[in-house]
Amino acid sequence: MRDDCDVLIVGAGPSGAVAAQEFARAGMRVICLEQGDWPDYSRARAGHADFELVSRKHWNWNPNERRAAGDYRVDDTESDISALMYNGVGGSTVMYAAQWERFLPSDFRVRTLDGVGDDWPISYWDLEPYYDEVERQFAVSGLGGNPALPPMTPPPLPPVPLNKVGRRGAEALNKLGWHWWPGTNAIATADYGPLHACTQLTACPFGCPTGSKGSADRTHWQALSKGQVRLVVRATVDQVLLDDRGRASGVTYLDENGARHAIHAGVVVLCANALGTPRILLNSADGAGIANSSGMVGRRLMMHPFGNAIGIFDEDLESWRGPLGQYLHSLEFYETDRSRGFVRGAKWNLIPSGAPLSMMLTGTWGDESVWGSSFTRLLRERLGHSVIWGVICEDLPDPDNRVTLDGELGEQDVPGVRIRYRTSDNTRAMMAWHLDRVSEVLDAMGAKQKILNPIMQGIGWHLIGTTVMGENPDGTVVDPYGECHDVPNLFVFDSSVFPTSSGVNPAATIAANALRCARALVARRRDVAVAS
Amino acid sequence: MTTHGTDLPVAPVPPAARERLAKVADALIPAGAGLPSAAQAGVHAELLDQVARARPDLIPPLLEALEALGADLDLASVERLAADAPRLHEAITLVVAGAYLMSPRVTASLKYSIQKAKIVDPREITTIVAEGLLDQVIERGPRYRLPPDAPSEHGS
Ligand SMILES: Cc1cc2nc3c(=O)[nH]c(=O)nc-3n(C[C@H](O)[C@H](O)[C@H](O)COP(=O)(O)OP(=O)(O)OC[C@H]3O[C@@H](n4cnc5c(N)ncnc54)[C@H](O)[C@@H]3O)c2cc1C
Repeated sequence: MRDDCDVLIVGAGPSGAVAAQEFARAGMRVICLEQGDWPDYSRARAGHADFELVSRKHWNWNPNERRAAGDYRVDDTESDISALMYNGVGGSTVMYAAQWERFLPSDFRVRTLDGVGDDWPISYWDLEPYYDEVERQFAVSGLGGNPALPPMTPPPLPPVPLNKVGRRGAEALNKLGWHWWPGTNAIATADYGPLHACTQLTACPFGCPTGSKGSADRTHWQALSKGQVRLVVRATVDQVLLDDRGRASGVTYLDENGARHAIHAGVVVLCANALGTPRILLNSADGAGIANSSGMVGRRLMMHPFGNAIGIFDEDLESWRGPLGQYLHSLEFYETDRSRGFVRGAKWNLIPSGAPLSMMLTGTWGDESVWGSSFTRLLRERLGHSVIWGVICEDLPDPDNRVTLDGELGEQDVPGVRIRYRTSDNTRAMMAWHLDRVSEVLDAMGAKQKILNPIMQGIGWHLIGTTVMGENPDGTVVDPYGECHDVPNLFVFDSSVFPTSSGVNPAATIAANALRCARALVARRRDVAVAS
Repeated sequence: MTTHGTDLPVAPVPPAARERLAKVADALIPAGAGLPSAAQAGVHAELLDQVARARPDLIPPLLEALEALGADLDLASVERLAADAPRLHEAITLVVAGAYLMSPRVTASLKYSIQKAKIVDPREITTIVAEGLLDQVIERGPRYRLPPDAPSEHGS
């Protein structure tokens, strides 16, 4: 391999981080371009009076509202769900709730088992050793022996405590005879590498001030950027360059002043997420697009429709405290049972309700107006006395749910994206059925009030699909190792490549798959056809 | 002045605007349930300064909202603002509720210690296992489906 570097990675999220570490360990020269900057943890204010006010701006999950360095336009006006992400070193793990879930064996065989979607070209067992490795890299805590998953190596750290909220949930599920297991999270429960033990500030999605969360900026980039890898921030890649034989020769990027630069590389790896990766591919060749002979770039966007069920209790559960994160999960109704009127399933997780402003100012806490004489009463009823069950539904791939470029290619700018996503009948039936069951759990927990929120809009934190992987170049964009069928030395390692979405959080599988693909590339690096 | 929310300078809030805010704030959050009203808590005074330091971007729309409310500083006018100018409604309600929940008097009365740090105790799980809370989950056995091509040691 040759040029400015052996491997050029676009995006410093978890997929980029895991890949960069693997390449660097193999002695390759690695450059990573990241459009955002390092997270500013001086603005992580959990534990301070202004925590929620600052979070609503600086740690806003929606880039259209946050508008920080690295955020690009996402037009979601034609979408049932908004896309959420963090653009900066660490990617969305800077904001993730750190719920760490392995996909289940059936998730890789959806077509075979349920006659819908597509099978993956790999199985659970192909990923298993990589799950083990990335769980050590991301400081995962949890308890081995979960009967909802095949036997596995336990995570390196013990699970977060159940506290009063988790215990109540666990006892209710036991009463109903339904599955639960202590939560697996990328949250350090003891000092671990660069991380410190969690202090339970319900801050995970709003910038962890303690440094307990396994976000890629802390687990990977702090060390990598000090030597082995050249990490360039505020560098927005606009195009992958191809030579005249159609091989990737590098990328062009805009720096923070709008000046355009080129970097030449032996191999280019896109780790820009399921919106950012199709954005670059569609914008390359001056907007004509590359790697798209299948016509599938940008299609099959999946976003994990999400609903929740809030329970309010008479007792003080101290629910403003805790990891956020999940206390526990239930996969009782995860696998398909057609008698329910839909295929596939959902995961439930139990979290504390957290700080007060969020429960007084959102539209998800029922129809009663909070203003006037209700305010103080509702505040007392809710703060510390409430819990939230989250329900993540598997959504199946639909080519009409897609990402396209939004806006013209300008000299000083890179187009944003437009997303179109419609929730399917299968998903709606799934959500309604699952929320009914979760409502039964809240009854068993002794909730005095229940608020059910099916399929919410501002919840697109899992972005999946858009450059599907498979053996067949006619219907897929990349091969099972992430290599573009059309461009031999251009790779995609993020969740764009997932053929289906599963019904659980994706970061574990993103990291494990990135490691699998990176290791495969290292093994055959001398055979990769580079640009001339 | 240090701000945590944005890089904007902190705009001063004139006394007349503070007086108007006190009235609106009390309409939005009157005393009740053993808690003070918004003005009693100081939402228009020191707490507003704290909001301005944390979120200077909220002050211009707050001033605009106070202006837009006109003479009637009551709940009905704020509700009208929600329909006519949602951006201003969002700003004024966020400032009032945000400031109120920063009040030490309010948080003390709620027994809410602003997320006081408490390091996790990783030994808690040992108690849970010893108590047998997980026994019935384990006794029910595996919950997952095996695809036909699962490795033979997994039972297919
Ligand atoms: C609020 C929130 C909560 C979440 N909670 C969970 C959870 O509990 N569990 C879980 O499993 N998952 C969770 N997720 C999802 C998880 O964080 C993501 O799936 C994961 O981070 C995706 O990894 P990635 O590497 O593919 O992409 P990302 O993490 O999105 O990183 C991509 C990076 O690429 C950069 N980039 C993109 N385009 C360009 C370009 N043109 N030039 C240069 N750089 C570029 C971006 O700035 C970004 O930093 C959550 C996400 C959010 C937003």
